Amino acid sequence: MTTPRPPKGHFNVLYFASAGSFTSKNVEALPAPLPLSKLFETLEERYKGIKESVLDNSLVTVNLTYVNMPEGEDDEANGDEPVIIQEGDEVAIIPPVSSG
Amino acid sequence: MTNRDHPTPQEGPNGANGHSEGRDRRLTEEEFERYSRQMIVPGVGREGQLRLIYSRVLIIGAGGLGCPAAQYVAGAGVGTIGIIDGDVVEISNLHRQVGHATSRLGMKKVGSLIAHLRDINPLPTYVPYTVPITPSNAADIISNYDLVMDCTDNPATRYLISDICVLLCKPLVSAASVQKSGQLIVLNCPPTPQGRIDGKYAPCYRCCFKKPPPPSSMVSCGEAGIVGPVVGLMGVAQAGEAIKILISSLHLPPSTPPSSTPPPDTENQNLIQPTLLIYTYDLSSGIGPYSFRALKMSPRKKTCFACGEDSPSRLTLEGIKSGTPNYEQFCSLPTPKHNLPAEERITASAYNEKRQKGEIGAHVLIDTREKEHFSFGSIDGAVNVPFGRLLMKAAEIKRGGGDGKGVLPEGVDGKSESEDVPIFVVCRRGLDSQEAVEKLKELGVDKGGKRRIMDIVGGMKAWKEEVDPSFPFV
Repeated sequence: MTTPRPPKGHFNVLYFASAGSFTSKNVEALPAPLPLSKLFETLEERYKGIKESVLDNSLVTVNLTYVNMPEGEDDEANGDEPVIIQEGDEVAIIPPVSSG
Repeated sequence: MTNRDHPTPQEGPNGANGHSEGRDRRLTEEEFERYSRQMIVPGVGREGQLRLIYSRVLIIGAGGLGCPAAQYVAGAGVGTIGIIDGDVVEISNLHRQVGHATSRLGMKKVGSLIAHLRDINPLPTYVPYTVPITPSNAADIISNYDLVMDCTDNPATRYLISDICVLLCKPLVSAASVQKSGQLIVLNCPPTPQGRIDGKYAPCYRCCFKKPPPPSSMVSCGEAGIVGPVVGLMGVAQAGEAIKILISSLHLPPSTPPSSTPPPDTENQNLIQPTLLIYTYDLSSGIGPYSFRALKMSPRKKTCFACGEDSPSRLTLEGIKSGTPNYEQFCSLPTPKHNLPAEERITASAYNEKRQKGEIGAHVLIDTREKEHFSFGSIDGAVNVPFGRLLMKAAEIKRGGGDGKGVLPEGVDGKSESEDVPIFVVCRRGLDSQEAVEKLKELGVDKGGKRRIMDIVGGMKAWKEEVDPSFPFV
């Protein structure tokens, strides 16, 4: 993998499939730390409309591991601890792909 | 080959329907030779090979994923292979759908692929289904198989297949691919009865993707394009996973033993870390020349509609058959509707006519298709501003608080003499162009209504239909 290392005080977000087309990027660095619950908000500020058309149906991983997006019911039901994205982390936005 | 709608695989001469008799037999001489190279691999052996021979695999979709998947499943000697697809072979399939051939254009894909597979390996029983899978036939078909491979091309079918697999306790090897990326995940394996949440169990498709993407953001291979090896790789990987599951008998549901013996999965030795494999192939190498990522997924979700807590009260085989849930509707929910007022729209033929007669005069014509589409041809004088780039520029301007200057390329906008000439926007099929018109107005490019911005109805597709039949529309 040749993803650039995020600069100090940042984490990387990888945009797959339609997330990549929406942002016209594969990867970018955002300031860390950031609570996971603020991730979509932060991206929506940069890419208006991305939440509804991409993020809401994507799965999200932090450091290659699936995370539940804090949405209310789900995380409470699963008893998840709030996740904070840290400096140097790699977050991936993975929209479902359907074609084949 | 048969053309009945629902052939059953039990007719197979190799007795692949039963669960016990004759399973521990000698391999025939042909089997021995044919499968020798894979049987000597540690972990396969005669026992693994017999498991494959007595397994039944259903491949749903005989396209870019289904073809490569089927080749290896057939080659490996899976005893019964069902293939479902309602389509016929088209020439635009052949760059990636390696189970078809130029000589079989126009033939049903199922028949074409089976002809190819028989050539590879005549021993398996091939079961053709030449109708698409639907809520009314899915359970009847799937119940005849041990493992399902989702090689389909639309979200509604993906949810349907996953739901049925949950209800029938079938492992599902699911892959998808579009343009330059692919995904692969093994779901519901080992299979666990619906609604069980007393331990860690394998997830279903809905555990991973709760909601379908809005239809407006869904692109098909026909629209977004697809690189052959990308989808091929995913299909081959699917076959690999299926073979592995069958050889290790992970597809057998934990049920059957009397209740005194705990099902194996509660002991947890069977729960395999669910993993989503992502493959990204980047022609511009922004992220690297190639990249695989294996992502750790969560186990079954307590809140999952299909397999979580109380799911049997929401999702049943009878319900699905009678239309609940409604998959089509679930996958075509709110899409931002674009209905520009009539005075902001012009048909392709009217635009052409007025332009020919000189009634339009000086104007700017923006074509918002991707540059690859644009490169095959465009209306004279059109300027290419890909839709994605336009949206991004628009968002940038909004953030920076600037005005609409710079949203269109230099020379198109900002020159004093062209400042107020009308703008026409055309896209591929007439949706993006409407949104582009709205965006440009939002940014004030219309100067509060002084400058006209018009949408060309139906995009270049309409242009081809109404004006120029020879236009190379992709």
